[in-house]
Amino acid sequence: MTRLESLASCFQGLIPATLFTCSRDGVPNAAFISHVEFVDGGRVALSFQFFNKSKANISENPHALVRLIDPDTSQGWRLRLRYVRSETSGPVFERMALRIEAIASYSGLKGIFKLLAADIYEVLSVEMVEDEGPRAASQWNERMRPPASVFTLHAMQELSERIHRAESLETLLDSMLEGLEASCGFTHSMILMPAAEEGVLVTIASRGYAENGAGAEVRIGEGIVGVVAEARKPIRIAGLIRQMLYAYAMHQRASEQGLCPHDHRIALPGLAAPDSQLGVPLINRGELIGVLCVESEQPYRFHEEDKTAIELLGSYIAIAIHSMLQRERSEPAVEAPSPVHAATPPPGRVPGPAREVAYYSADECILVDGEYLIRSLPAKIFWKLLNARQAEGRLEFTNRELRLDKSLNLPEWKDNLESRLLLLRRRLEQKCPDLRIVPKARGRFALQLASDVILVQKP
Amino acid sequence: MIDVELAAFLQEGIAIQLGTRNDRLEPNGARVVAVTVDGDGRHLVAYVPDAAASQVLPDLESNGQAALVFARPPDERACQVKGTFTSARPASEAERAGVEAQWDRWRDRLASIGVARATLEPWITWPCTAIRVRVTAIFNQTPGPNAGAPLA
Repeated sequence: MTRLESLASCFQGLIPATLFTCSRDGVPNAAFISHVEFVDGGRVALSFQFFNKSKANISENPHALVRLIDPDTSQGWRLRLRYVRSETSGPVFERMALRIEAIASYSGLKGIFKLLAADIYEVLSVEMVEDEGPRAASQWNERMRPPASVFTLHAMQELSERIHRAESLETLLDSMLEGLEASCGFTHSMILMPAAEEGVLVTIASRGYAENGAGAEVRIGEGIVGVVAEARKPIRIAGLIRQMLYAYAMHQRASEQGLCPHDHRIALPGLAAPDSQLGVPLINRGELIGVLCVESEQPYRFHEEDKTAIELLGSYIAIAIHSMLQRERSEPAVEAPSPVHAATPPPGRVPGPAREVAYYSADECILVDGEYLIRSLPAKIFWKLLNARQAEGRLEFTNRELRLDKSLNLPEWKDNLESRLLLLRRRLEQKCPDLRIVPKARGRFALQLASDVILVQKP
Repeated sequence: MIDVELAAFLQEGIAIQLGTRNDRLEPNGARVVAVTVDGDGRHLVAYVPDAAASQVLPDLESNGQAALVFARPPDERACQVKGTFTSARPASEAERAGVEAQWDRWRDRLASIGVARATLEPWITWPCTAIRVRVTAIFNQTPGPNAGAPLA
């Protein structure tokens, strides 16, 4: 019998599978299904999301047939199955639930489109479908070559070297995303880290998008990134468009009947229409450091072989970010030769049109010329810097003095100050490039204003 | 049973599979390249590649039970036609162009959901066995609250 493990590509869910069942009184049923989950060499699992005819038949008659298509070789396969049991917990259930939850979250169907059980089937036989495969044997052999793994040992080594070379959090994050493109071909990627507000992740670095997206927030549990953060497990989804269309079709019908309270729509962050997404939790010693999200417009980009490498990469990046934050915190700032003040030009006399920077105390957020810039801790920091410049003429600052500033109320431990400053820098680059925060040395940075600023504090 | 609108949907070039079962109630299935609906709306002919027909014909000849599932991406409209087998014959050359045109439209449609046309290029679409089925029931299978409801 062909080994089930050799059909790994069939289990990516790129091309719909078909499930055939039969009722106790002998009426056959056929249904397209989005995903067949590989369990082990002798078992697969099918998702039970709705009580439908297939499920009813299986409860009466355990025999089933699944037809699968290998997206790499075009070869069709028949799996003859016998239902064993339904699982509502455990690793198989959790893996399948995570995937469905991510798609549901994207489609505005969280809580409706969900996994009720993972139905486990024993695989009785694996058969090649005679009419679904390349005609010529030579062509078949050629096409049967497995696709190249994306996360090769060489790519992992290259990414590891980038980690070692990075001098700051900013260079580390940017270099990792650059490396994912250079070594693995992923042109669209982003890294999110926990925001000051609990339960929120904030985009801190991105690559390949028209806007850098710094400051874009995702709540834990929302979308693929939020679901990855919540479950702390990687998610790979190929054929995303098709699966979302399925969920969307269901949502449409439910909406038409008034069963959905809100008019959700599919909102895709990043790429307008990604067909594959990879979300990797960045975990160090049990702590969620962030989430790496990689997207591709290609429908089939991640391979089974990549699974271990992806998890390993997540650990690498998490440890690297953690140690960079620790190093930044523990090492003293490189002292400036002498305090730098805004002597030329003095505060209030910077050339160029003035910008109004308004700080809303109640919301802890800053608007520049009426447009939202940033909120929470990065906003408080920026406001403090601008006021120090106005009151004392200072232009250079140290991380240490920010940590000691009681008004900022930074936590004693794990303040993530470096990531907040990076976020602030990125937002300024995006929204008002004439107002800059420039690193000067380890633990030290400067305000560079090409426009005058008028500070307005609001309740 | 199959009205004009539904017949047009079934024949427009979409995903079609034929399910059967043997005397031990073990299911079998085969890919359908194309269908044609009779003018009376009570019969349809499913064109199944000869190699695949051998999977389902023994069941059909033994007990006659057939289920055909139809699905159309990207809107995921889907339905299931239940029926009983009436006859099978080799499809004629005169039918070939229509069968292959329907299959070609299906490959175009697949491309709209990211499955390249080339993926299904090597599959055998001819010669086919024309399997005639008398329609006994039709069920909605579009994802949503009405999935499973009878259409006719």
